[in-house]
Amino acid sequence: MKRVVTDAGPAARESVEGVDFDPNAPLLEVTDLHVEFRTRAGVVKANDGVSYQLGKGETMAIVGESGSGKTVSAQAVMGIIDTPPGYVTNGSARFRGVDLFQLPESERRGFRGEKMAMIFQDALSALNPVFRVGWQIAEMYRQHRGASKSEARQKSIELLDRVKIPGAKERFDSYPHEFSGGMRQRAMIAMALALDPEVLIADEPTTALDVTVQAQIMKLLADLQAETGMGMILITHDLAVVAEVTDRAAVMYAGRIVEEGTTRQLFKGPLHPYTLGLMNSIATPEQKGTSLIPIPGSPPDLLHLPTGCPFHPRCIYAQAVCAEVRPPLRDLGDHRTSACHFAEEVAEVGR
Amino acid sequence: MAADHVAEPLLKVEGLVKHFPILQGILFKRQVGTIKAVDGVNFELYPRETLGLVGESGCGKSTVAKTILRLEQPTAGAAYFEGRNIFEMDKREMRRLRREIQIIFQDPYSSLNPRMTVADIVAEPWEIHKGEGPKNQQRQRVENLLELVGLNPDHINRFPHQFSGGQRQRIGVARALALNPKVIICDEPVSALDVSVQAQVVNLLEALQDELNLAYVFIAHDLSIVRHISDRVAVMYLGRVVETGTEHDIYDIPTHPYTQALLAAVPVPNPDRAGTKRVILEGDVPSPANPPSGCSFRTRCWKAQDICAQEVPELVDRFDHGHPSACYFADTKVGAVVGASDEAETE
Repeated sequence: MKRVVTDAGPAARESVEGVDFDPNAPLLEVTDLHVEFRTRAGVVKANDGVSYQLGKGETMAIVGESGSGKTVSAQAVMGIIDTPPGYVTNGSARFRGVDLFQLPESERRGFRGEKMAMIFQDALSALNPVFRVGWQIAEMYRQHRGASKSEARQKSIELLDRVKIPGAKERFDSYPHEFSGGMRQRAMIAMALALDPEVLIADEPTTALDVTVQAQIMKLLADLQAETGMGMILITHDLAVVAEVTDRAAVMYAGRIVEEGTTRQLFKGPLHPYTLGLMNSIATPEQKGTSLIPIPGSPPDLLHLPTGCPFHPRCIYAQAVCAEVRPPLRDLGDHRTSACHFAEEVAEVGR
Repeated sequence: MAADHVAEPLLKVEGLVKHFPILQGILFKRQVGTIKAVDGVNFELYPRETLGLVGESGCGKSTVAKTILRLEQPTAGAAYFEGRNIFEMDKREMRRLRREIQIIFQDPYSSLNPRMTVADIVAEPWEIHKGEGPKNQQRQRVENLLELVGLNPDHINRFPHQFSGGQRQRIGVARALALNPKVIICDEPVSALDVSVQAQVVNLLEALQDELNLAYVFIAHDLSIVRHISDRVAVMYLGRVVETGTEHDIYDIPTHPYTQALLAAVPVPNPDRAGTKRVILEGDVPSPANPPSGCSFRTRCWKAQDICAQEVPELVDRFDHGHPSACYFADTKVGAVVGASDEAETE
C-alpha cells in the first residue's frame, strides 16, 4: 500500500486544522510569562513577566547565565515543563495569534514538532540510547504523519543527508553512542526539522561541543534557517555566538528580561549595566596584559532575590532607589528596552 | 626560545607518551587496542610564566597534566622538574614534588569534599605533608589564604554547598596555595563557571602569579581566555603538540593549518565582524584508538599531500621565528586558510 507522506495522519490533522491562525499576528508572541517552581524550600519565580516576539525568518537570542530563566521560558512555550513542580501561572504564548496556553494538551501535541521544535544542549540525553538513531527520526513521520515504515525510513535518510551526516544510509541503523558529539547534535537537528516547523528553539545547541564542531553546527543551523525561513530562538550564554548569528537579542537576569534590542545595538551601546558587565568581562586581544573587568559577586539565589532591582548588589551604578524600586522594562525608543533606572546614564558609559 | 628565557626551565617535558590499553574479555582480559592519548609531547615551563595548553576534547591535554603529577603512569618519556626526572623519583621525592606542583580542577562541585568545612579543606595539605604546615597558627594561616583568594575569612567554618561556583573555585585555589607551590596546573579552571564570574577567577590567578611568583600550566579550550592569561601557548591535536610559540606567535601569525582553523572557528563578539572570514573545518577529531597515519590532522586538512600520510611531521622551527610548527606546509599567511576544502566529512 502506498501513501503520500505529506498526507497528514488523523491525529495530526485534527489537532492543527481545527485552529484558526491570524495571518497578521507575529509568528510567536510571548506576553507577560510567569513560571514558578513550587519547591520544598519555597516558590521560585523562574520567569517573572517575560515578553518577546519572534518574526518569520528572524533569529533571536535569549542570553543569560545559569538560573536566569532562559531555558524555562522556552520550555513553557513548548509546553514541556514538568508539572509539578513547575507551573505557568500567568501570561500567554501566541503562535500566529493562537494562545498555546489555552489549548487542551491533545491539541498542543499537534503543535510540538509540527509547528515548533526544540533542540537541546546535550544530545546524548535527548536521544534514546536503546533505539537506532534513524528509527527515532522516522518516528516523527510515523506518529505525526501516519507514514508507513519504509516511507518514514526513506524520509529520515533524506533528513540525515540534509543535516550533512556522511553515509546517511548506513548511519540510519546506528545507535546514538556510535555517533560523535557533533553528529548526535546533527541527528537531533534532523529530528527537530522533520516536520518543517515554523519556529525552532535551540537551547545551548553548541555548548557541549568543541569549537571547530561548534562552528559547523552554527553554520548548519543558519543554512537551514535561510532555506526554510523559520524563526529561530537561540538560547545561549555565549555573547560571541550571539554576535555571530542573531538579529535581535534579549538579555535575561533573575527571571526577567533586562534589556532587548537588535544585536548590533546591544553590542554598540548596552543600556543595562548587566549587559555592559557581560560585554566587559569577555577577554579581548586588546585587554592583553591588563586585568579583565568582571561583574562583582555572583548570580542571585532565586529563592532569596535582593529587593528592588535584583542586579543592584552587583551593580556599579546602583543608587539608593535601586534597592527599593524594581525598575520596569522601559521603552527607550528605536525598538529598544531596558529595565534600569539609569539606562540613559549607562548608555553614555557604554558608548 | 632560549634567548627569551635566561632562566632554566622549571618544568621540562620530553617525549611524553601515555597509551591506555583497550581491554576485552571478562575473566581473561586481553588487549585489543591502544588509545594513544598522549603521543610524544614536549614543552618547557619557565619560572613565573603561564603556558597555555589548548586543544579540543580528547586531544590529551588533561592526560598530560595528570601524567606530569604521576596521577597516571607515563608509558614513555621524561618530565624534569628543576632538572630531576619526575618519572624516576622514589616515594619520598614524589611527596616533595607534589608540594611543588599543585593542581586546580575544572569542576568546583566535585573537587571539594562536601562533608568538610572550608577550614578542613584548605588545611588538608598540611595533614598529608606533616611538618610543612604552620606549627601553631594553622587557623590564622587558613584565614590569610582565604583572604588572599578573595573570600571572607569569617566563612572558614562553612561547607562547600554554602558557596557559589566561583567561590568554590577560589577555595580550590586556596587549597592549591597552602603548600607554597612553584607550579600550579590549572585544568580548565573557569569553564564550569558563569561568564560574569570567569573573569573574576582569571584576574585572581593573574594577581596571585604576580604576588607569589607562580608558574602556571593553563589548560583550557576557551581560546580567548588562554590568549589573555598565557605568555606562551602550545596547541595540541590528537596527543601531539602541533604548534608552540608566544601568545603573539600563535594568535597573530599561526602557521599550522589546525591552529589557523581553530582560531577561525572561534566566534567573534562583534556583530560587525561576524561571519567575515570563517573556515569551517569539516568532520570530527579522529579516534585516538585509531589515529590516521603520518600527520594526524591530514584527514581534515586542506593542504594535505601524499607525504602527510607517510611521515609524521616534526615539531621544529620552520621560519627561524622561535615558533615551531609540526606541518610540512606551514605558512604564516593566515590568508591561506580561506581555501578550506569542501570535501565530505571524514570520521
